[in-house]
Amino acid sequence: MDEYLQWLDSLPKASGALKAIQLRGRESLKRLGLPNQAIEEWRLSDIAHLKKIIQYPYVKELNQIFDEENPIKSLVDNKIQIIIDSQDIHKESINLPKGIRHLNQSELEQSLGHSIEKCSFMDNWTVAMNHAATMEVLGLKVEGKNLPLIEIVIPSQRDSFIPTRVIIFVEENAELELTQIIQGSQNSVHSHVIEVHLGQEAKVNHGLLAFGEMNSSLMANIAIEQNARSNYSLTTVQEGWLFSRLEPRVVQIEGQAHTNIKGLQISKGKDQIATHSLVRFDGPEGTLDQLQKAAAADHSHCIFNGSIEVPRIAQKTNANQLSRNLLLSSNARIDTKPELEIVADDVRCAHGATVSQLEEEQIFYLRSRGIEDDQAAALIFKGYCQEILNCLPQNKDKTQIMQKLLRGMRK
Amino acid sequence: MIRQDAKVILDIVDLHARVEDQTILNGVNLKVRAGEIHAVMGRNGSGKSTLSKIIAGHPAYDVTSGTIYFQGENLLAMEPEERARVGIFLGFQYPIEIPGVSNLEFLRVSTNARRTQLGLEELDTFEFEDLVNERIKLVQMDPIFLNRSVNEGFSGGEKKRNEILQMALLEPIVAILDETDSGLDIDALRIVSSGVNQLAKPNTATILITHYQRLLNEITPDYVHVMNAGRIIRTGGKKLALELEKSGYEWLDAEPGNQGGLNHG
Amino acid sequence: MNSENSVGELVSQPYKYGFVTDIETEKIEKGLNEEVVRLISSKKKEPDFLLQFRLKAFNQWKKMKEPIWANLGYPEIDYQDIIYYAAPKKIEKKESLEEVDPKLLETFDKLGIPLSEQKRLSNVAVDAVFDSVSIATTYKEKLAEYGVIFCSIGEAVNDYPELIERYIGSVVPSNDNFFAALNSAVFSDGSFVYIPKGIDCPMELSSYFRINSGDTGQFERTLIIAEEGASVSYLEGCTAPMFDTNTLHAAVVELVALDHASIKYSTVQNWYSGNEHGIGGIYNFVTKRGHCRGKKSKISWSQVETGSAITWKYPSCILQGEDSIGEFYSVALTNNQQKADTGTKMVHVGPRTRSTIVSKGISAGHSSNSYRGLVQIGSKALGARNYSQCDSMLIGDQAEAKTYPYIRSQQPQSNIEHEASTCRISEDQLFYLQSRGIGFEEAVSMMVSGFCRDVFNQLPMEFAAEADKLLALKLEGSVG
Repeated sequence: MDEYLQWLDSLPKASGALKAIQLRGRESLKRLGLPNQAIEEWRLSDIAHLKKIIQYPYVKELNQIFDEENPIKSLVDNKIQIIIDSQDIHKESINLPKGIRHLNQSELEQSLGHSIEKCSFMDNWTVAMNHAATMEVLGLKVEGKNLPLIEIVIPSQRDSFIPTRVIIFVEENAELELTQIIQGSQNSVHSHVIEVHLGQEAKVNHGLLAFGEMNSSLMANIAIEQNARSNYSLTTVQEGWLFSRLEPRVVQIEGQAHTNIKGLQISKGKDQIATHSLVRFDGPEGTLDQLQKAAAADHSHCIFNGSIEVPRIAQKTNANQLSRNLLLSSNARIDTKPELEIVADDVRCAHGATVSQLEEEQIFYLRSRGIEDDQAAALIFKGYCQEILNCLPQNKDKTQIMQKLLRGMRK
Repeated sequence: MIRQDAKVILDIVDLHARVEDQTILNGVNLKVRAGEIHAVMGRNGSGKSTLSKIIAGHPAYDVTSGTIYFQGENLLAMEPEERARVGIFLGFQYPIEIPGVSNLEFLRVSTNARRTQLGLEELDTFEFEDLVNERIKLVQMDPIFLNRSVNEGFSGGEKKRNEILQMALLEPIVAILDETDSGLDIDALRIVSSGVNQLAKPNTATILITHYQRLLNEITPDYVHVMNAGRIIRTGGKKLALELEKSGYEWLDAEPGNQGGLNHG
Repeated sequence: MNSENSVGELVSQPYKYGFVTDIETEKIEKGLNEEVVRLISSKKKEPDFLLQFRLKAFNQWKKMKEPIWANLGYPEIDYQDIIYYAAPKKIEKKESLEEVDPKLLETFDKLGIPLSEQKRLSNVAVDAVFDSVSIATTYKEKLAEYGVIFCSIGEAVNDYPELIERYIGSVVPSNDNFFAALNSAVFSDGSFVYIPKGIDCPMELSSYFRINSGDTGQFERTLIIAEEGASVSYLEGCTAPMFDTNTLHAAVVELVALDHASIKYSTVQNWYSGNEHGIGGIYNFVTKRGHCRGKKSKISWSQVETGSAITWKYPSCILQGEDSIGEFYSVALTNNQQKADTGTKMVHVGPRTRSTIVSKGISAGHSSNSYRGLVQIGSKALGARNYSQCDSMLIGDQAEAKTYPYIRSQQPQSNIEHEASTCRISEDQLFYLQSRGIGFEEAVSMMVSGFCRDVFNQLPMEFAAEADKLLALKLEGSVG
């Protein structure tokens, strides 16, 4: 605990819109203390690892880890790339297209934290940690349609703690395609929080690609607030982190909106990769389509916890959730826990979960056509991932992503 | 079969109805005598399906004014199940699936409810099976469907046969068949129609709600009514149906006003 | 007709077993301490090993905390305000039924469980338990011909101490959880069943639990052992009078199945559930667990839960023997202010173990109905399979249904499938049945019963009809 407080005190102080938030974050952290396994949502987490990572020093300077050959660096047509780090968001260096602009100071002060509160993230430890540490925020306002894809890249630094914060305000009727890429490096610790506010009839297609490296860690919170008749799609991919905890939360504040969540998490070695999602319908006639896939190899551990809350007001909600898991090694572990809380009576909710290995029958079928065992398994595994990758926003070269996912995977 | 001296068994008088805020029926008048077959035709949304549901007592519709007499009694004062027991039958356009509830048990419970009303003894499981096995031949339905859940996983044609089987068991006085022909191939249509024809008796009446003329080749109506905007605007014989088949419903828009309900006889 | 309201009215049926039998009872003072534990043991003239078992459990209990994770939210229970021992006077178990207090026989008659020779059920042996004390067991002699032991736990402690010592606490350790520890310290009576090797028990065995006292905690303990190749079907029924205070019921059931043995355990729980404002009713905290110890053994739980103000109950299976099978079939109906948090745990330890879970929750009124389940596949459970299905039906917009199916797997060569859905009785389905002359009440009852069919099919014949009736009763109109 002492180390924890010392570390807290070592964090630099923010100014402007973030000042108040930072103060609240630090107070929350002190009040909450370190998570422990007696708390249900942390029960399966590697707490020892958490204790280690809070000792990493605050990031000094972010290295551009993207070299010339890295395809992510090269701009695809009709794409705006924003590279952020905790120090400097290169605000001036980005030429934003018409229809997208930076939030000004007073807009930031007004909107920052709104969706966080709606998503009941106020007492969330990883959010508090991010708020306690963040020095800068990228705030965007989206007002048009047919805009180029926005790609937000969050690079890395070895042996450092890297907090980043984003807020995007999507106005009524506006449409946005958004990709986030979070890159880990050796012993790096990422803390990321993004809020997206969707006005009525707004449409957002959001992809989040999080690729770790040796011993890297990620804690990310996604807070989405949806107004009526808006349409939000989220596709997340987590791979390569020793410790990763992703918490997407969506609240349909008036119902009558559509939410689509697709997730893929792949763990290898001694990784622990977790997704804790929550969708709440605070109004009637909302819909949800959720598919979470996880694959655990070697000595790794995949966790999925998926809550759906349908309060009394949310009549005629239609929610579907499916958790599909592949257990690829007898030393690996899968935990999956859907949670449905329904108070309205006129609703349709279905959820399902499966845990299995790769289908023997499928592998046999491919082998009977002359394909080797390993190759057959790889093909089927690729198919398993492809279903999620297909949902990512346009303009992403998916073969690159697939190669990353397949690295180190053996039958 | 038109017999002017036959008793009026169903009498719909100036019926107005709505669902939520929308007015659907706008003054329907219709008299049905024993032995008659009526066809009600009209475009989608003309109110013909609504009329059938209101006769059967669907709770979603509010009757705002008007009455329906069934054998001299006020039908609107009765619960849906009471209407079924006194002899009103609605063959659904989309028969509802009820998972878990055995079709055979459902048929037996409803048959016994009707029998009790008629002062007949209830049938036990064995007696009832005999009855079902006899009546099922009428619709040429595979008895395997008796052991499934009500309508669950039935094809469109199987559902419609199950409806006519229910009609054969309940022996209603007024049978209203809502779009019974929709989704049926020609063979199934013949089987269903011949079932309906065989079930028609001098003391019963049939109302066919249909969009197309083809059902009327199989079951010959005594009267054809055309509905538009919640009213019966025209009544004629079988020829009217053929006319409609030829010229469609466009003429409805051209016709100024309408004759209101038609009280034949 | 407004079907929502009417369905709500339908499920508000007065409780039919709410009467109190006026009978003299011997009670000890309220409160719990080591002396009380010793007193209970000495009143029952127990051997030392059992006293030690109780004391150990009591010491463990003192250090434990009441679990709070379930969706129950009941007021704090004052464990010192409960009487831990009560028994009808003149309770000395009689050789012949004719000597049993006629008031007790009458009570069971009224509950539909006639015990006397002339009237008793023809193919069911009954152990009648009144305020946690066994008052009569029928067909004992006939069962003895097969070597089947069916008696109260109290009798078994004296007659078969070696079996009790060997098996008690072997499936549910005394420190398993707060309520199991409490039960282990103060349990009063319950049923004991022993089926010897190779015997297929010739009749259904049944315990009927009747709570009569208002201020006395109820702590029965049931132990069933099926030796190699043995099989038994056991039924449990429960009712209680209406009091405006809450009565604590904390039972423990342990089942042991050895090689090729099979145990089917069915429950129809209809404890008093309190009135429509949530006043009174039984707090039902039960630990039920079966241990498939032998290869190809099978344990099957079926339950129909309709009563109690609070239900906290997770009948579970430890599937240790290779190729062993666990099953859980449950219907839980809650109404008014009732709260039920129930489900199962299937712990797959041995290879090729299989389990099936089918849970149907129906919530009406202001009640809350939660399914909480765990399917765990251990690293040695090669080829294990689980299939779970849990469906909820909501009646009225004030009722809550919650589902927490938890899956944990450490064995790739295994297969787990879980499906869940939520539905309500649709107006169209109701209208369809009504338009065929079926009355509203019967239509609702048919649909609820159809919703529960998968579970009712698992109950023994004698019980399936009773369960269906019980549900229909709960769904019957408040008039007539």
